[in-house]
Amino acid sequence: MTDALDDNEEATALAAEYALGLLTEDEALAFEAAMAVDPDLREIYARWAEDFVSVADGIHPVPPPQSVLERINADLFPANTANKPSLLARLGLLPAALTGLVAAATVLVVVNLDVLRPAPTAFAPEYVAQVTAEDQSLVVLAAYDADTKVLRLDRSAGAAQTGRSLELWLVVGDAAPVSLGVLADASATEITLSDDLAAGIPDGILAISDEPLGGSPTGSATGPVVAVGAVTRL
Amino acid sequence: MTTPADIETMIARMALGDRAAFSTLYSATSAKLFGISLRVLNNRAEAEDALQEVFVKVWRKSASYQVNGLSPMTWLITITRNHCIDRLRARKTATGQMDEAVDIADAAPGPEALAIAASEGVRIADCMGQLEPDRADAVRRAYLEGETYDELATRYGVPLNTIRTWLRRSLIKLRECLSS
Repeated sequence: MTDALDDNEEATALAAEYALGLLTEDEALAFEAAMAVDPDLREIYARWAEDFVSVADGIHPVPPPQSVLERINADLFPANTANKPSLLARLGLLPAALTGLVAAATVLVVVNLDVLRPAPTAFAPEYVAQVTAEDQSLVVLAAYDADTKVLRLDRSAGAAQTGRSLELWLVVGDAAPVSLGVLADASATEITLSDDLAAGIPDGILAISDEPLGGSPTGSATGPVVAVGAVTRL
Repeated sequence: MTTPADIETMIARMALGDRAAFSTLYSATSAKLFGISLRVLNNRAEAEDALQEVFVKVWRKSASYQVNGLSPMTWLITITRNHCIDRLRARKTATGQMDEAVDIADAAPGPEALAIAASEGVRIADCMGQLEPDRADAVRRAYLEGETYDELATRYGVPLNTIRTWLRRSLIKLRECLSS
């Protein structure tokens, strides 16, 4: 810049340039890092975002063709078709008998933001999976930090039935599911994975099955799968 | 009439995996977001692809909505606009041509500029009107066409540093007007 702006003006101009996409990649990343720790800067950006959006107020709505929604549904919810039985089959269960009982949904939750990023923490997960029963009776958010091989589990709903245990499985490709252990009673737990298990996380699916107290006695799932979630990269 | 609170509720339910909420949100907002995709990309097939990608993104990012501080329609429109601008810039890079799609919107003021004056965006339209016309035009081009400083410098025939200086000054003036 050739002209001098005061701090307030500089923040105003920078936030507008960020909102318009005029900054270089490096400048944009630096601005996001600054916003992550500066609520005032977030507020300045949010005001620009609101104001610029009104530039689009005069754009007339146009109903999209039905095919777009069909493609979105096919993208987001393939579990309705082929994937669910094959996953259950891979878990060693009987699809025909259990499809109705299990009804587990795959829900991907990506917690990064394209407009704002959360403040950095010591635990820096690159992968997440929300392992959720369709009726929300069991909700476990899994976050994985590849550098430390720590898988953090946060159970926000559900618990094992009395005298039973919930066991977490990692399913990778066509391989047999591998147990990651029984979920602890505490709602938040951390597991450090071996190198073998860690390698499977990026392409893996996490599943939780209902097992006898202490976990499956056989090494593969013996009870119904109560929740499933695919691992997704942040 | 779908209110912002309704849309917020839909997004919150989507974060919990509620597909019905997603369908409702799609019904309520897809025409607006498709209109924006068409306006930015100026190509029907590409706008359809972009809209599909935007809604997939919206579903996956629904859990992060609450923390970003934007009103729900602003969040949706910003994701749509940014996604379409990314596509537009990729297209320009791929074809080496940046003006053909853009020049269709060259005649100022365009239809949406007129409509802005009659809509709730009246204040930004008023404030844009107080900028010198080519500077307001540059802001509009940056927002709706995704033009970069390089492209704006070429368009107005001024050095890069100059375009940046006067656009930043214009943005500060715009903020002063919007805050008054």
